[in-house]
Amino acid sequence: MKSHIHTHAHPRTHSPCGAGTGYDSASDSDYRIAPWLYLLPLVVVVIAWHFYTLGSSDRQFIFSSPEKVVQAFVRLASSGELVKNSLITLEEAIAGFALGTTTGAAIGLSLWYSRAVARVSRPYISALGSIPIFSLAPMIITWFGIGLWSKIMLAFLSTVVVAIVQSYQGAVSVEPRYLRFMAVVGASRSQVFRYIVVPSSLIWVVNAMKLNIGLALLGAFIGEFISAEAGLGYMIVKASGLYDMATVLVGVFTLMVIALILSACVEALERRILSRMSWKS
Amino acid sequence: MTEPLLLVQDLCFAYRQGAGGDAPAVGAISFALAPGEIVCILGPSGCGKTTLLNLIAGLLQPTSGSIHFRLEERTRARIGYIFQQDVLLPWRTVRSNLMLANDLRKSTIDQKALDQYLRTFHLETSILDRYPSQLSGGMRQRVGIIQALMFDPEILLLDEPFSALDFYTKLRLESEFHSLARSSRKGTLLVTHDIDEAIAMGDRVLLMDRGGKMAKEIAIDLGEGDISPDKARGHESFSGYYNEIFSHLEEAMAL
Repeated sequence: MKSHIHTHAHPRTHSPCGAGTGYDSASDSDYRIAPWLYLLPLVVVVIAWHFYTLGSSDRQFIFSSPEKVVQAFVRLASSGELVKNSLITLEEAIAGFALGTTTGAAIGLSLWYSRAVARVSRPYISALGSIPIFSLAPMIITWFGIGLWSKIMLAFLSTVVVAIVQSYQGAVSVEPRYLRFMAVVGASRSQVFRYIVVPSSLIWVVNAMKLNIGLALLGAFIGEFISAEAGLGYMIVKASGLYDMATVLVGVFTLMVIALILSACVEALERRILSRMSWKS
Repeated sequence: MTEPLLLVQDLCFAYRQGAGGDAPAVGAISFALAPGEIVCILGPSGCGKTTLLNLIAGLLQPTSGSIHFRLEERTRARIGYIFQQDVLLPWRTVRSNLMLANDLRKSTIDQKALDQYLRTFHLETSILDRYPSQLSGGMRQRVGIIQALMFDPEILLLDEPFSALDFYTKLRLESEFHSLARSSRKGTLLVTHDIDEAIAMGDRVLLMDRGGKMAKEIAIDLGEGDISPDKARGHESFSGYYNEIFSHLEEAMAL
């Protein structure tokens, strides 16, 4: 059967490994898939969902239905409620994401300076990373109140550890030949940090950003879920209390769309950095 | 007699291997390097050639013996180290890579020297705005050599810099480098596996054996003053030197 996956002409496509074996790392980004294929799984799920709930009020109560979700979306969008709540969640998530990622990257990269400090910090970072963020939420809300800052702090705590670990890993993964070269030319430690460690770790920081997008949204959402007066988490909790499954699903889908948009932004940033660094050429 | 740029005396180094004792890598090596001289180091794999360069570069501390630069014991001389794989930073353009020396020293770029090096190595100024990944292997190695030269080194350490290049690029680069080393009066230590290259490039060839010791020192005298590497290859004495080195290496490999 002829494959629907189209590839660019690429020399490695004809390598002994062959295209699509998964062993050819350079070929992955070169695959081009017909745009409609991206929508296919979604269309299949919506059609299945529609027919499963069609004519059954019990099923519609439990699972809602595509039609009800669209109606709820139109209602929430036209009243401005969806935009307002989305912007609040987005604000909390982005602020926590920016704070957590920059702080984590700064800490992670700085740990390169001292192996002793890095070793001592390791169990603390692991411990912090293993705490379920949900368990911290009541404490954070007590400290920072039910307003914006408690959600930002939860998003911050959700993202900071990933940024520390990824950045530190990037800093210690610098190619030894660059370090040898800098040692030969008599570069100071701070020059090695500035000219070698930071730029070569940048791709690890971008990876941390990719992972942190979802985590920041989760942190903000948990804060809103526990105690809030606005935001998508608040909207979902309130609607689920009223068994309004359509509104719950509108909230869930909106969160998904926000996560996808933010991920696309980070991926665009990644592409920009990679092309600037010419690592993909 | 010309004052040597580099004087290595009874240099020893052993890698620490914990309870199992130390593994000797370099054993009682002595030699001198004069300005403008090219000394090639040949030996079987794992005989300590790169370790010797690392010791001279200050990347390793000798177990015993001494390294003098211009007859003074200094911890660091102005050394340019050119590795088998270039050290061009992929996130910097060629220009920016060549300016690294100036960035580190907070000085302005020596444009005259840069232009001269580009001419010597037959590189167009248009490559300055490219990234290293946009260059061919030969171009990268040339830029790598210029990058090291921009630090204005007194001594150049070359660890098989031409081994990954195709035959014609290698010949051309050898020739370019040879004339540069001669004209700039820089001392060059060249580690190579290639007997041809050692005879064609070197004023002397140091042969190391498996124990990291210096087995023999052969002065290459082709009797025609300063001849280029490609002409040296066609010289009547070339095969005599080749056979002498080859038989010695054969013995060393058999041991």
